Amino acid sequence: MQHFTRHLIAAAAFALVAGCASTGETTGEQQTTAPQDSVTEQGITAQPGQDAYSYPYGQAPIQQDTYDTSGGAVAGGQTGGEQPPGQATTGGGAVAADRIVYFGFDSSEIPSEGQAVISANARTLTGNARIITQLEGHTDERGSREYNIALGERRANSVRQAMIATGVSPQQIRVVSFGEERPAAAGQSEQSYALNRRVEIVY
Amino acid sequence: MLFFGVGSFAHAELTIDVTKDIESGGIPIAIASFGGGAPENIAGIIASDLQRTGKIAPQPAGSRADYAVTGQAQPGGARGYIVQFQLAGAQGAPLLNLSFDVAPNQLRPVAHKISDLIYEKLTGEKGLAGTRIAYIASGGGSWYLVVADADGQNPRVILRSSQPLMSPAWSPDGGKLAYVSFEGRRPQIIVQDVYSGARRVVSAAPGINGAPSWSPNGQRLAFTLSKDGNPEIYALDLATQSPARLTSGSSIDTEPVWLPDGSIVFTSDRGGSPQLYRIGPGGGAAQRLTFEGDYNARPTVSPDGRYIAMVHRRGGRFHIAVLDLQTRQFRVLTSGGLDESPSFAPNGKMIIYSNGQRLTAVSLDGRIKQDFVLRGNGRDPVWAPYGR
Repeated sequence: MQHFTRHLIAAAAFALVAGCASTGETTGEQQTTAPQDSVTEQGITAQPGQDAYSYPYGQAPIQQDTYDTSGGAVAGGQTGGEQPPGQATTGGGAVAADRIVYFGFDSSEIPSEGQAVISANARTLTGNARIITQLEGHTDERGSREYNIALGERRANSVRQAMIATGVSPQQIRVVSFGEERPAAAGQSEQSYALNRRVEIVY
Repeated sequence: MLFFGVGSFAHAELTIDVTKDIESGGIPIAIASFGGGAPENIAGIIASDLQRTGKIAPQPAGSRADYAVTGQAQPGGARGYIVQFQLAGAQGAPLLNLSFDVAPNQLRPVAHKISDLIYEKLTGEKGLAGTRIAYIASGGGSWYLVVADADGQNPRVILRSSQPLMSPAWSPDGGKLAYVSFEGRRPQIIVQDVYSGARRVVSAAPGINGAPSWSPNGQRLAFTLSKDGNPEIYALDLATQSPARLTSGSSIDTEPVWLPDGSIVFTSDRGGSPQLYRIGPGGGAAQRLTFEGDYNARPTVSPDGRYIAMVHRRGGRFHIAVLDLQTRQFRVLTSGGLDESPSFAPNGKMIIYSNGQRLTAVSLDGRIKQDFVLRGNGRDPVWAPYGR
């Protein structure tokens, strides 16, 4: 009897997980078709179903563990002091320091060190018209999240303008802002904030 | 008081401490254990719910109190359990006497229902024990959209993503959540049915797709797009999918929210610093609403449309502040730090927000404060409307 019960529970658990998995995939593929008036950019992975899975209410698999964020890193896979300063740890692969432009507090003006980073990357882009770069704007965590999205975009647009001024074709540049959602450095020190106010030149 | 709390909070994912009480300590109410052997500690849940309001002070049974709650929860009825309770005044005069026939998994919800009935009877205000909150959590390279009961119990993940999620917004009927998802490494506005999990991309324009907000009747969605060069406010008719642009100019215009009359309040830096402005349902000339300090952003509107809560910076710290549209009085509610993302409770009496570390709530008068202690992190909280 004990064995029977155990098997029954195991079977039920499997059915639940299997059911949810298929729901998630189906949801991803069927429901995330872009509306007609939207523009889908080319060249950048834009298949929503790959990254996100939705679940019917109360049916996410292994409910508690899936979002137990207490033991691990906070947003963006932060690992505190283990990373060398200046190196991004934002999940999508570290971005080298020579592709990051840093900004002052509340500013979207490009400092002189940043101008050198932009010039070097602009040379690569003008030398190969087939390369498309995505300029990813970021802010520190202070203030409103959506307003920070707008500030991150303003920074990325500053870099975009500087690149175009250097001769890069606008067709080679895309801009996206992550605001404060993908910090490069953890913690609430001025040093961390300075590392987070940045534009990453991704290509 | 703690006596009641411990049992019901033992398995909580997110618990709440009332850290500042009203001066009187609240209305004393004696709550006796419910007999009948139900698997939930119903009296404990009721005591926790009432204590959390900051306006009622639960006491053990037999204490001298103005009011007394007694009850039973025993197997029976058509659904599994009969839950019956009485609320009596000091002289034993019955004020409430009700019974419910519920399934075993509805014992906790019915305890919240009883809490709200008692709260409304004693204060004249609608209670919050039966409501829910949504918030964003992240860790280990994943982001989660979570819906939990207002006491922090029963957290349910309704979306998991390997890219950032932000800005959840409840539809007025509580059946859908709009939010921003960076899946595919670019922002999109998505509307998800909370119950079925079905999703629809509402906007995926080039540039920013951000800050979704439902119109009071649930038929339109306002949000921010930067496809024309800089962030502007748009309103989309969800049935016809036709968007209308409501702002123009070279400044940042973002974070739209609707007032009950259909006008829209939003953040703009058109004056040099972020401040709140108001435009009519079709756009037009903007009226500036805030003048205190050099940073007022992320407005949220009380259910009756009278108050606007916002993120306010002074002395380098970010606070939650509230503007009374009737009297034009501006009040800072929190001691500040990294406070952000305020959201009104559906009864308009409490505001939940994130302080950069955890979720917390403050009463509209600033006197009651609740800390939500999550097992993991949480941010971008939104209190669900009354409804299902």
